[in-house]
Amino acid sequence: MNRNKLIEIFISNLANSIIHKILEKAIEQAEIAEKYDKEVRNSWQIAKIYREKINPSNRSLPFRDISEIKSKIKSKIENELKLRIEKGYKNINLELIEKFIERALKDMLVIEKA
Amino acid sequence: MDQIYIPKNRAGFNGGEYVLILPLSSQNIKKEKFKLFFYGISNLEKIKLRLIEEIFNLIGKNADFENIIITGSFLERGFCFNDIDILLVSGKKGDYENIKGKIEDNFGIKAHFLILNNKELASGLSSEPLYEMMLSKCISLKRISLNVKRKINYKILDLALLKSKTLIDNFKILNGNEKYYLVLNMISILLFVQGRKLSKEIINREIEKLFSVKISEIKNNFVDIKFLKRYKQIYNKTFNKIMENIK
Repeated sequence: MNRNKLIEIFISNLANSIIHKILEKAIEQAEIAEKYDKEVRNSWQIAKIYREKINPSNRSLPFRDISEIKSKIKSKIENELKLRIEKGYKNINLELIEKFIERALKDMLVIEKA
Repeated sequence: MDQIYIPKNRAGFNGGEYVLILPLSSQNIKKEKFKLFFYGISNLEKIKLRLIEEIFNLIGKNADFENIIITGSFLERGFCFNDIDILLVSGKKGDYENIKGKIEDNFGIKAHFLILNNKELASGLSSEPLYEMMLSKCISLKRISLNVKRKINYKILDLALLKSKTLIDNFKILNGNEKYYLVLNMISILLFVQGRKLSKEIINREIEKLFSVKISEIKNNFVDIKFLKRYKQIYNKTFNKIMENIK
């Protein structure tokens, strides 16, 4: 698999896991939804696997990659969340997006931790 | 001849066998015998029953709990299970890693613990399809009430369905069991919002009908792009159904 394809899959899984986190915040009973969740690798774990395949894997990515990844993740998350808001889903906090992306990219060693 | 009636599902001896009846005394109660409650189980291998009793004994000695429920693939016919799912109903959030380790050491079987209090269990049963499915086939130490009125929280269903989106994004890399679990999750949600009854058998039948494949083909990862296309259609249908009701 070439590097661009790896980055694409990484982006889609990481975006999915951030959407999950933002939706959790929009529900009052999220702890139940998270309980029985054992059989499957979740988006975060898959994103991690793909991050390890993208070089350089042990330090932050070049600036050009970072800005592309950030903007693609952001647009995927916004699309998914706005789709829900249009359908009448209340309580979704779009202001969390940037913060969650930043944190996730640091955890994934895409950007340098301060 | 005097007769003693015992439950149909019982480990240790068969119908018609001669047994020795002894007065109850501290000497012959080395291990506690349990009266188990069976839900959706018509038959179970005796060795599994014996193992369940042993596990209940072990948990009983090591933890505070209100109920213990065994569920999951361990209760399926045969021995193709990866682990044993143990739902511990307890008001205390203790450290259960120790018990998990003891089960693994004593019986050589992996244990997957889910610890809930009564309120969380009732809430899960009324609002989460996977809970309803999970408890449609189980063995418990104490009687449980499965007649819980459904209280559909569409936001929780949306979140649960999001898990199944992983299959669309990662079709090529997921193994057969992972794919099966994601399909199971999605179809259980679809049936739940349609107000239909849930059990693993019902969901499996629905999967085979909707995808025109056998469950074994999914588990063995013998599914192709046609399957993925159908999956996307059903995913969107389920998502739209949830969104129609979301607030």
